[in-house]
Amino acid sequence: MSERGGDWASRLHLPTLLALALVLVAWTLLSRRYGAYVLPTPWSVVVGFGEIVRSGEIWGHAAASLYRIAVGFGLAVLLSLVMALAAFVSALLRGIVHDALAVLNSTSVFVWIVISLIWFGLSNWAPIFTTFMITLPVVASNLVEGVSSVDRRLLEMGDVYRLGPGEKFTAIVIPSTLPYLVAGMKVGFGLALKVSVVAEIFGVTSGIGYAMNVSRETLATQMVFVWALVMILIMVAIDKLLFDPVSRRLGRWR
Amino acid sequence: MARPMPLKLEVAGVGKDYLIPVIESVSFAVEAGEFVCLLGPNGCGKTTLLRILGGIEPATRGTVRLDGRPVTADRHHERHVGVVFQEDRLLPWLSLRDNVALVLKPLGLDRDARRARAMDYLRLVGLQGFEAYYPGRVSGGMRQRAAIARALAIEPDVLLMDEPFGALDAQNRRILQQEVRRIWAETGRTIVFVTHSIEEAAAIGTTLIMLSARPSRIREMVRNDGSVERAKLIDDLNTMIMEEVERQQGAAPDRSVEEKAP
Repeated sequence: MSERGGDWASRLHLPTLLALALVLVAWTLLSRRYGAYVLPTPWSVVVGFGEIVRSGEIWGHAAASLYRIAVGFGLAVLLSLVMALAAFVSALLRGIVHDALAVLNSTSVFVWIVISLIWFGLSNWAPIFTTFMITLPVVASNLVEGVSSVDRRLLEMGDVYRLGPGEKFTAIVIPSTLPYLVAGMKVGFGLALKVSVVAEIFGVTSGIGYAMNVSRETLATQMVFVWALVMILIMVAIDKLLFDPVSRRLGRWR
Repeated sequence: MARPMPLKLEVAGVGKDYLIPVIESVSFAVEAGEFVCLLGPNGCGKTTLLRILGGIEPATRGTVRLDGRPVTADRHHERHVGVVFQEDRLLPWLSLRDNVALVLKPLGLDRDARRARAMDYLRLVGLQGFEAYYPGRVSGGMRQRAAIARALAIEPDVLLMDEPFGALDAQNRRILQQEVRRIWAETGRTIVFVTHSIEEAAAIGTTLIMLSARPSRIREMVRNDGSVERAKLIDDLNTMIMEEVERQQGAAPDRSVEEKAP
């Protein structure tokens, strides 16, 4: 029973909840001191959240952001798979992919935002392109590392037992690379959410980033906090509902 | 038994160079159903020789014939060689049964036949009841048993074993030696077994081949048929291996070509 009790305490994140309560108290005191424009009270954030849920505003903006993420991030994952495959079959291509990723990795978000505004103007494609360019090196680096860490001794075993290239790929290469893909996608998705929201400040008229910027301009600081909360909730939900079950399923042989 | 057994494996003048000669020239023949143990000082090229026999690595010179057909190190040959490596080399994401069943695919068996045969061979190596386990959930000895089942399941022309029990504790080692000996007796397979343990070789082999120090030749080939008392055999081989180890250390010690430690 005591073990189950301990399990419950950690499941509910009791220490975290305690820390959160302290933060809320400090937050309330500070917002009294500095006023609602600089730091709105926790309660006004709750009320604001209720408002956008009731008005349905939350769904429209969240869907717009998620759509852009899905397209930009999805394309990044697809291209990453192609790059990893190229790196696996040829040492020459591996070198090119490696260098290309190093360049992409060291390019700032702002570069892509400006370039995408020039190329795509005030359209959906500007945040999609930015998301794509920023998440591509993260996912692809993970995948390339995954395929290069495939145990050569297992591949040799496959040769000894005369497995064909297709059989070796599905039985050995894919299962050893999948954990890297999931890890890369997990980090990549978090990045996609953060980056696309920044890109939405410019040029588009929907999405969480847009809603946040409008809140700032209309001096509704509590709504900036509300939309930040929406981002956090989306991230937690995707993690718990998508990535965690997939990781668990992949790791069942461990 | 009056009729001589057919030659299974013919090794003629096989040598291998890695910058310097590692194996100078080795020739021997193995009859079907023999249990050959390859012995020799560390770094003398036992593993390399085994890999050449299995067509995993090309020889620099000489030829290997399996059932009269040359063994070459390319992927498109028709040979049937089961290999048990120093490590189990099981796929950790497949159950023991699926690990064995996987290597039966190139034989053209359908799914049910593959599974049935995998179950048969897992039973033969004493893993009945553990077929559904993942390799990570069973002991090192059991993983090596599964690797043996996998090698036997393709019903190989020859079974090559490269210090398969090197990573096991003494007790497991002893048990698995007896098991391999039993499996050999039951299946009649031809086995070539690399070991650095003279006691192990004397306990399980029918023919013991002692390689010399690098660059290696055959120092001695002994039939282990009971005509020499086992204790004396072990003594003689121990003397030989000590001489070869000394010779190898006396020669310019070149660490770059040492056999890789398991």
